[in-house]
Amino acid sequence: MTDSTTASATSMPLIQARNVNKVFPNGCHALKDVSLDVQRGEVVVIIGPSGSGKSTFLRTLNQLETITSGGIFVDQVDLTDKRTDINVVREEVGMVFQAFNLFPHKTALGNVMLAPMKVLKQSKAEAQKTAESLLERVGLADRMDNYPSRLSGGQQQRVAIARSLAMKPKVLLFDEPTSALDPEMVGEVLDVMKELAKEGMTMVVVTHEMGFAQEVADRVVFMEDGELALEETPERFFHSDHPRLQRFLGQVL
Amino acid sequence: MQTQSSRWLGHGLYLVIMAVLISGVYFAGQKIDYSWHWERLWPYIINTESQDIVAITDGTAVVDAAGRLSIEPDFGDDPQIVNVYDTLVSRHGDLIFQGDTIARIDGWRFGPIAEGLWVTIKISFISLIFAVLLGVMFGLMRVAHGQVWRNLAVTYVEVIRGTPLLVQIFIVYFFIGTVFDLDRFTAGVAALSIFTGAYVAEIVRAGIQSVPVGQMEAARSLGMNYVEAMAYVIMPQAIKRTLPPLAGQFINLIKDSSLVSVISITDLTKAGREVVSGSFAPFEVWFTVAVLYLVVTGGLSLLIQRLEKRLSASD
Ligand SMILES: Nc1ncnc2c1ncn2[C@@H]1O[C@H](COP(=O)(O)OP(=O)(O)OP(=O)(O)O)[C@@H](O)[C@H]1O
Ligand SMILES: [Mg+2]
Repeated sequence: MTDSTTASATSMPLIQARNVNKVFPNGCHALKDVSLDVQRGEVVVIIGPSGSGKSTFLRTLNQLETITSGGIFVDQVDLTDKRTDINVVREEVGMVFQAFNLFPHKTALGNVMLAPMKVLKQSKAEAQKTAESLLERVGLADRMDNYPSRLSGGQQQRVAIARSLAMKPKVLLFDEPTSALDPEMVGEVLDVMKELAKEGMTMVVVTHEMGFAQEVADRVVFMEDGELALEETPERFFHSDHPRLQRFLGQVL
Repeated sequence: MQTQSSRWLGHGLYLVIMAVLISGVYFAGQKIDYSWHWERLWPYIINTESQDIVAITDGTAVVDAAGRLSIEPDFGDDPQIVNVYDTLVSRHGDLIFQGDTIARIDGWRFGPIAEGLWVTIKISFISLIFAVLLGVMFGLMRVAHGQVWRNLAVTYVEVIRGTPLLVQIFIVYFFIGTVFDLDRFTAGVAALSIFTGAYVAEIVRAGIQSVPVGQMEAARSLGMNYVEAMAYVIMPQAIKRTLPPLAGQFINLIKDSSLVSVISITDLTKAGREVVSGSFAPFEVWFTVAVLYLVVTGGLSLLIQRLEKRLSASD
């Protein structure tokens, strides 16, 4: 790691993506020169048609996907640097998945406690205390001892959010967190996310929920065909006359 | 959906068919010119005859006031002292020659079949532990990122699965056994574990790969490294999925252990062969041996079923 990490200048963007390119081994050019800055406390929403590279971009931000060229900095740590311990970076970059990906062999509480105990080496009592308060915060105080198979989709996703928060991340990445949910459960998850945004959590959210984007986002990004086509504040974004965005919004709204 | 009555009808029909089959075997047994002597089998399972204690040197019998028997040897050596016996055969002052029966001890001991059964259980159990260790190790190598590891694991699995166990036992005993100076039992355990380990490796690999990739991604994005993710997230789920095929493999191991009799390990099968020639009751012996194998494999099945139930708490 470089010396600049210690001199954490709060004015610097928390995430900086510079001319990121991703070419999959099968030749698919999924990201083309994507550059994006995310400031501390900011909520950035990414929208775009299927296959436009939204997930791929999000996954490069915690190196679940390596990049072909360009640079990614999280709190000024260069993720592409060979000497960077990616596990330490990932502690600070939480991720919430479309399919929840809860650990099925652990209870809700166990899911939230696992990483703090094994990675941060917290004591069981300490991890449990944090986990209980986090589950309470996402409205699952009465569901802590349930296994994921006994929870609804909305409840599972809220456990997953609590699980990410337990690592005290600097930023949370959401990849279509409500797309796998029945419509009546979307609200409960979005409410938790709105609450987090209000508390100042930095978030990058891939979603098709335009209402959420309008209400919560500081900036909205439109991706198409691997390119970052438009980046605006919500007011300007949803009144933009960008032709392909118009076409896309016409399809989803 | 099956109705209650059709289920009972099925059970009833099953009992009738089994009764017909068993009586068929019974009458076939009656028809052939064979006299059944189940009672001859007992001494080979549990021997209740009293055992002889024999003199180890030439000498004179001495019985002291406490009833302790000793043989004072004619030349030099220490006396042979017999503390525990039930009946005295020699008397004080008798001249004794080496090999004479001097006393008898009552009670019972295991016969060759019981001892063979014990060897089979022992060799299967020890091999099972090593097979699991080998299997987990090579199964993990099989899904590792390094190509070297994967190649090594594939080679092991393919070589072992592509050659007969009997040949492997001979190779381990005569070649590796000679090089490393292994005794029969160790060679038998080695051959069985290496053989079963290859199959366990494939089961473990399949188990790991059956865990959705999202699990690894979730674990890694929480900051766990590969080893931690494997240990705390992937393997606990994989193991649950591998239990049913593993049970089958362990049962095969118990049955396969009968092949070690070719390198003169007196397991249940070899004991059976030996007892047949001594008892002149081949049918009884082989039926008994079969039932004993069935008891061991059945016991193991039951044990694994219990374990599966315990692990299914999260379903
Ligand atoms: N592992 C992979 N190997 C090869 N190509 C891939 C891989 N993952 C994604 N792609 C391709 O990269 C492109 C972008 O995919 P990505 O999943 O990022 O899209 P997306 O915007 O998230 O779409 P969706 O809304 O359907 O989730 C697609 O063309 C996809 O086929
Ligand atoms: Mg996607």
